[in-house]
Amino acid sequence: MTREVGRSLPRLESEAKVTGRAEYIHNLTLPGMVYGKIVRSTVAHGRIRRIDASQADRLPGVVAVITAAEVARIVQDPYYGPAFHDQPVLAVDKVHYVGDPVALVVGEDRDVLEAAADLVAVEYEELPAVFDERAAAEPGAPVIHEVIRPAATFTDLKNLKPASGSNVAMAYQLRHGDLEAGFAQADYIFEDEFHSHQVTHTPLEPIVTVAEPRGDGGLDIYTSSQSPSFVRMELARLLKWPENRIRVRTAYLGGGFGAKLYMKLEPLAAVAALLLRRPVKLSLSMEEQFYTITRHGATVRLKTGVTRDGRMVARACTIWWNGGAYADIGPRVTQKSGFTAAGPYDIPHVSIDSYAVYTNLPPAGALRGFGIPQLVWAYESQADLIAHRLGIDPWEFRWKNALRPDRPHATGTLMRDAGVLEVLQELKRLMRWDEPFDRGSGTRRRGRGIAIGLKAAITPTTSVAIVNLYGDGSCAVYSSTVDMGQGSDTVLAQLAAEVLGLDAREVRIVHPDTDVTPYDMATLGSRSTYHMGNAVLRAAEEVRHQLRAIGSEIFKCRPEEVELQDGHLVAGERRVSFKEAMEWRFGMQAGNLIGVGSFTPTYKKPDPATGESEDITTFWMVGGNGAEVEVDTETGRVTVTKLVTVGDAGKALNPGLVRTQLSGAALMQLGFTLFEEMRFEDGQVVNASLADYKLLGMRDLPSSVVAEFVEVGATHGPFGAKGIGEVGSLAVSPAVANAVFDAVGVRITSLPLTPEKVLRALKEQAGEIWEEVE
Amino acid sequence: MNAFELVRPTRLEEALEVLSEDPETVRPFGGGTALMLLMRSRLLQPRRLVSLDRVSGLDRLDLDGEGNLRVGSMVRLRDLELSATVERFCPAISRALLTLSNVRVRNVATVGGHLAHGDPHMDLPPILLALGASVVAQGPAGPRQIPLDQLYLGYYATSLQPGELITELVIPPLPEGTRGSYLKATALSADDWPMAGVAAFFRLEQGRIVEPRIAVSAATTTPVRLPAVEAALAGEAPSEALFSEAGRLAGRDLHCLSDLRGSAAYKREVVRVYVRRALQQVWAGR
Amino acid sequence: MAERRIAFRLNGREVSCTVRDHETLAAMLRDRFQLYSVRESCAQGLCGCCTVIVDGLAVSGCLYLAPLVDGKSVETVEGLGEEGRLDPVQTAFIEHGAFQCGFCTPGMVLMSHQLLQENPQPDQEAIAHYLSGNLCRCATYPEIVEAVRAAAQGSHVAKEEKSHG
Ligand SMILES: Cc1cc2nc3c(=O)[nH]c(=O)nc-3n(C[C@H](O)[C@H](O)[C@H](O)COP(=O)(O)OP(=O)(O)OC[C@H]3O[C@@H](n4cnc5c(N)ncnc54)[C@H](O)[C@@H]3O)c2cc1C
Ligand code: FES
Ligand code: FES
Repeated sequence: MTREVGRSLPRLESEAKVTGRAEYIHNLTLPGMVYGKIVRSTVAHGRIRRIDASQADRLPGVVAVITAAEVARIVQDPYYGPAFHDQPVLAVDKVHYVGDPVALVVGEDRDVLEAAADLVAVEYEELPAVFDERAAAEPGAPVIHEVIRPAATFTDLKNLKPASGSNVAMAYQLRHGDLEAGFAQADYIFEDEFHSHQVTHTPLEPIVTVAEPRGDGGLDIYTSSQSPSFVRMELARLLKWPENRIRVRTAYLGGGFGAKLYMKLEPLAAVAALLLRRPVKLSLSMEEQFYTITRHGATVRLKTGVTRDGRMVARACTIWWNGGAYADIGPRVTQKSGFTAAGPYDIPHVSIDSYAVYTNLPPAGALRGFGIPQLVWAYESQADLIAHRLGIDPWEFRWKNALRPDRPHATGTLMRDAGVLEVLQELKRLMRWDEPFDRGSGTRRRGRGIAIGLKAAITPTTSVAIVNLYGDGSCAVYSSTVDMGQGSDTVLAQLAAEVLGLDAREVRIVHPDTDVTPYDMATLGSRSTYHMGNAVLRAAEEVRHQLRAIGSEIFKCRPEEVELQDGHLVAGERRVSFKEAMEWRFGMQAGNLIGVGSFTPTYKKPDPATGESEDITTFWMVGGNGAEVEVDTETGRVTVTKLVTVGDAGKALNPGLVRTQLSGAALMQLGFTLFEEMRFEDGQVVNASLADYKLLGMRDLPSSVVAEFVEVGATHGPFGAKGIGEVGSLAVSPAVANAVFDAVGVRITSLPLTPEKVLRALKEQAGEIWEEVE
Repeated sequence: MNAFELVRPTRLEEALEVLSEDPETVRPFGGGTALMLLMRSRLLQPRRLVSLDRVSGLDRLDLDGEGNLRVGSMVRLRDLELSATVERFCPAISRALLTLSNVRVRNVATVGGHLAHGDPHMDLPPILLALGASVVAQGPAGPRQIPLDQLYLGYYATSLQPGELITELVIPPLPEGTRGSYLKATALSADDWPMAGVAAFFRLEQGRIVEPRIAVSAATTTPVRLPAVEAALAGEAPSEALFSEAGRLAGRDLHCLSDLRGSAAYKREVVRVYVRRALQQVWAGR
Repeated sequence: MAERRIAFRLNGREVSCTVRDHETLAAMLRDRFQLYSVRESCAQGLCGCCTVIVDGLAVSGCLYLAPLVDGKSVETVEGLGEEGRLDPVQTAFIEHGAFQCGFCTPGMVLMSHQLLQENPQPDQEAIAHYLSGNLCRCATYPEIVEAVRAAAQGSHVAKEEKSHG
């Protein structure tokens, strides 16, 4: 009977978006509102000796200058964070990176604020700083946080044990099988190290928050957040208020990609608004986004034992995550991504050591893939390397080692509903892997490569939804899932419509408003379709149950005999509209039928010593990429001519949206692969603008971009659906690097694949000496 | 951005007069695309801006009696791009404009601003340098003509005097049969500023290269002509070997700057390759 | 602070207002006329979120001084399409799913509209060149190219129908 599920409905908000009328917090102006501008640390690590705001304060138009001293009047313990309480609202005594917020100037004129921010004089006593994740993890490195306090907000992070007195904020380990025995069985052992660089999200709508004190003593927060429920919870904790005094609302997000998770500007905006008793708007500039949140750089060391016939028998993985100055969600990356570091492969003996490391760089958090792309970069580069050394076709090597259904993953959880084989097969087909390939000639060499990645869901997490049928029979879904472009509004409407026999375009989605919409853990980690989708299904089913009960009374039949079609209750020949049903039930056009659905998947905590658990994730995400490249052997420039993306969608509820998400994620990752890179000098980002940190543009588009999905139904997913938002990004980098290797025989082990890096490798390969110039 | 006053004179003398007030805090404003970037990042905080958009007589785009292409300083880059006169005069200029910044910037940016800014990463200066172009500057001391090889003194430094304005660009006609090419190397995204730009022109007479002109920009502190390379090419018969040698010489002689887009060593390597390729293109008649 | 009164045509209607000399066109349109399709993101002329049409030419509102539109005609996406009907470019964007978060979309739509005015039958390369100054962080580029192609086809078909009828 499915009419809505599987339909490529355009986004519900399409017209609002093409006419420029869609609502973003970027556009919000409130009466009496003032603006804030953050004064940021100019040193990477230091003690604050003195802050002199007198000059700034005297500038006409400046309303206030706020420092940690003023923050303390509102919040006594100003430290927050989703994993550890390590980040202060404004720097207290110490700064931890260049860009760390030290003060806030507030005023009516944004141009004056810029000048005012320049006038706030801060004196520092500089401390030794450390930027490299390996160096920071060494004993004797300058310690960035003397004490680390766990947050314990999220179940999956409750048993994190931060290690104070060292920069290794957290160490996660997994022990599976008998590593030494495994290596003893191996005919060859490969040891390689791979490096991922710092990149950043740069959503085009920069992070923005408006805080407005209410007359009743409460506080309204309007914010471009992916996690409104968390913001309320965490603000309430800081203010020592009950959650119901704080209302958090979001609108459409002009992109998120993980940048807008947990708390960003909200605590500072809230404190400023409460101090000044006026609405305060804080908007980051594009430049400031570079100082706010980044993606972890990472060093991954892999030692892999392989038998002569190409079976991987043992793998030891060591990962150092460059977490920057505040942990943000890094510890979750360390653990949840860490445990997949051995890849989607059936390897009997595995060990994983994953370290979250503090450094004096801007904080790193989640970015589309939660650390998985950094791991896939390593294990899929190495897979290719091994296959070539053993003379096995790279696809065959992966096929041979792939985790098959019901085989245990390194965590001990059995592989279920994971389309590893299906993705590999589809990848092979779309890449025409078995067909002859034009390898180019002269200075233009062509090559192709593939790679595949595996990701676990963040488990366990909760989503709650309400479905409300109004007196006229129209319907609304209340959910705290944030539509940041992934199309969640549309898909949630499709699910409710499917159950209730409506057209999805008639379903209204009420946007996150913590006074109205129920709890949701956050919009992250490709979890919404699965978790919120289930919650909406359950809520809609509850309303359907009530409607059927009414129908059974009207039609004098059993409830199961009542069908819901096109906004009507139907039993055989008889039909009444939802409106008529409501009138029948309430005696007039009035009342509500309300269904509440909530969903929390099962989970078993891993054993702290072995990291094993028989139920580590509620579903697996599998994504593969293939690339065809052309390498200019004289300049090192890599041109990707074809980019293939395959993801396991479980069941594509909206195939059009699924494809767009897959190719969008892959192209974003292609930018990270080829040239996007944050550059630092003494901890200072030196390319904090889109002029020097270049994003992938129209002219970088591969001439062929192919995105497809396979459908390996998820047992507990809504109609079998899984999340797909990150899947397209997982394996792009190694697919491209493997193609470069195929084209010119050089193996690049650190991202990005800049022309200079490739040319250097080519020269080295040819035994030519590169003439260095000062 | 700091507060400033914008003035919009209609006559050149008026503009020059305002500019002579105090060249430190009063700046000419062409399209403003470069100025706005500087002001928005607070690197520049002028008190007054003199917009030239209403000044008459700065928008000519035609050939004079001697066949020189004359371009008024307020001609927008996009007009230059779409001009049939320019396309006939030197197709390499029209082609270079296609990938110079973007349509919105070209709709606004002016020839005068492009040339006066002194940013070594600009795409047109190397071409114009190779073509032997000059600018007409008007200042308190009257007009003077500055050949392009004397305009650029260093990184963002020009020989324009305080209070002096570029009013016109003058490009001498190319001898019959001259062909040219401009190649732009980008290190990051394809729409980026050049990491290196190479302009090459020559014509063939009896199978020999005549009047070769090679200029390089972006990799260097200023756009530069490469006389040694030109000398090596002049009078020779074109060949792959000759062009490779020209590239080698170009790379050898050049002082490059290391930056985000590449090390000096890498840029020399790219210049070496691009000089050869530009020459090959000219030869192939593309 | 230097201020002045300016008058111009905004989406087909004569308007006037007081602006500060250093005000950007993007800030003026948002703050004084509530035209929120004009968005500031990169503030460097690179992303196209602030695209505005001035006297028929696309400009970056973040790099354009507001006083300079005095006496000119200014258009934003709010003024596109006729009497509540969407422009063919907008329809094509919807049909081809040429956006995700939608933040870049007004700029993309305006630039595509300009492109088709100048070049009614652009090939892939012409589209890439013209739109190379508009960034989409959601990377909906393939869908945008398709939408522009379709809009070009549509306008082509519509024109042919007219000339035949
Ligand atoms: C996003 C972006 C990307 C770009 N990419 C490229 C690129 O890839 N390649 C490239 O070549 N360029 C690029 N540019 C530069 C662009 O070409 C310049 O911004 C433009 O040429 C400057 O012209 P303008 O008229 O706007 O100058 P303005 O900003 O008006 O002026 C620039 C400087 O010249 C002075 N000035 C202006 N007019 C005169 C005059 N008549 N006489 C004397 N002094 C004057 C000003 O005081 C100022 O110092 C890019 C610019 C932007 C904004
Ligand atoms: S904000 Fe103007 S182009 Fe990006
Ligand atoms: S749709 Fe999100 S930036 Fe283009």
